[in-house]
Amino acid sequence: MQQSAVEAVIRGLKRAGVTLVCYLPDSLFKELYPALDADPDIRTIQVTNEGEGAAICGGLFLSGQRAALVMENSGLRASVEPLSRMGLGAGIPVVMLMSYRGDMGENNWWAVPHGITMEPILKALRIPYTVEREEADIEQSIVNAYELAYSSYYHTAVALSGSIVR
Amino acid sequence: MKRFDCMTRLATRLSDELVILSLGASVDEWYNAAPHMREASLFQQQLGCVTPQAFGLAVGLPERRIISLDTDGGLLFNLGILATLGNEQPKNLFIVVWDNEQYQSIGGPKTHTASGRVDLAGIARASGIDHAYTATTLEEFDAHCEAGLKADVPYVVVAKVSGTVQPEIKRKHSDGREDKYIFVRHVEKTEGITIMGPSEHN
Repeated sequence: MQQSAVEAVIRGLKRAGVTLVCYLPDSLFKELYPALDADPDIRTIQVTNEGEGAAICGGLFLSGQRAALVMENSGLRASVEPLSRMGLGAGIPVVMLMSYRGDMGENNWWAVPHGITMEPILKALRIPYTVEREEADIEQSIVNAYELAYSSYYHTAVALSGSIVR
Repeated sequence: MKRFDCMTRLATRLSDELVILSLGASVDEWYNAAPHMREASLFQQQLGCVTPQAFGLAVGLPERRIISLDTDGGLLFNLGILATLGNEQPKNLFIVVWDNEQYQSIGGPKTHTASGRVDLAGIARASGIDHAYTATTLEEFDAHCEAGLKADVPYVVVAKVSGTVQPEIKRKHSDGREDKYIFVRHVEKTEGITIMGPSEHN
């Protein structure tokens, strides 16, 4: 990621009122994680799998603070169970920011499943999402994801792709 | 050692804490063992999420004591949270693991702790949670509750309990969605904050 895209993500998170980011590091966002770690306004918690991160974010929601789950889109698959239970069973929202592995232009065979499964899983869970490929749209897209999540009390997601992460 | 008796002991120590607990028969038992804590308890339905949710709540409310009532099956579903807690060292999180060595709510198939080889408190200690203990008597459990509720490091007590369920107790009628609203409104009232506020327009 370019430094300017990293800054756009952090601006969006801050405008949305995010105070905690749970993440499992991935390669496409590799410049983002240390920037989040270094930001004095955002606490970061590295988790052992993305489902655990989703549950921690859900717990933070119950405190009145705002969290983000940041991950590669493969993490969506690891999060399906807690997302389903919290979102559909209790109405506890989690906002996700994920790198879009497996999108057009992908040059790793192992990332192909991530591209094939991401959008069908989001649709199966009825999770509203946007796919951003332009840096200029990142900040507002993140803010929008929080607006809807806190109106619906349901999950939303933003996937970053294209030149943002390449 | 009966889980319900442990719950009754723990309940007498609680007043303004917040509790997140697991699924199954322990839900109705806690509902009856701690009637004064009903609004302060979030009854959740998933394996592997109870302690992570309690940790998230503890991060958001660092001045409030948060209690996770997890289970052997639930903790085994995501042992990774122990490593996360070992590194994060929350000062306000007390974790009870009801270890009945079985998946009780579906009829009692054994969990991995039933072999006697798998030690959840030992796993917790090896994950960096220095205060992780196993309790096999009510007196031991009660002593760990006293210590765990005032500890300024994460504290785990694995309560080895029988598979019996307290008979003739009142069932909780609310679902997960109603439980969440009850819990959130309680947190809002007691913390003086807004969690689920009004829309822009009515």
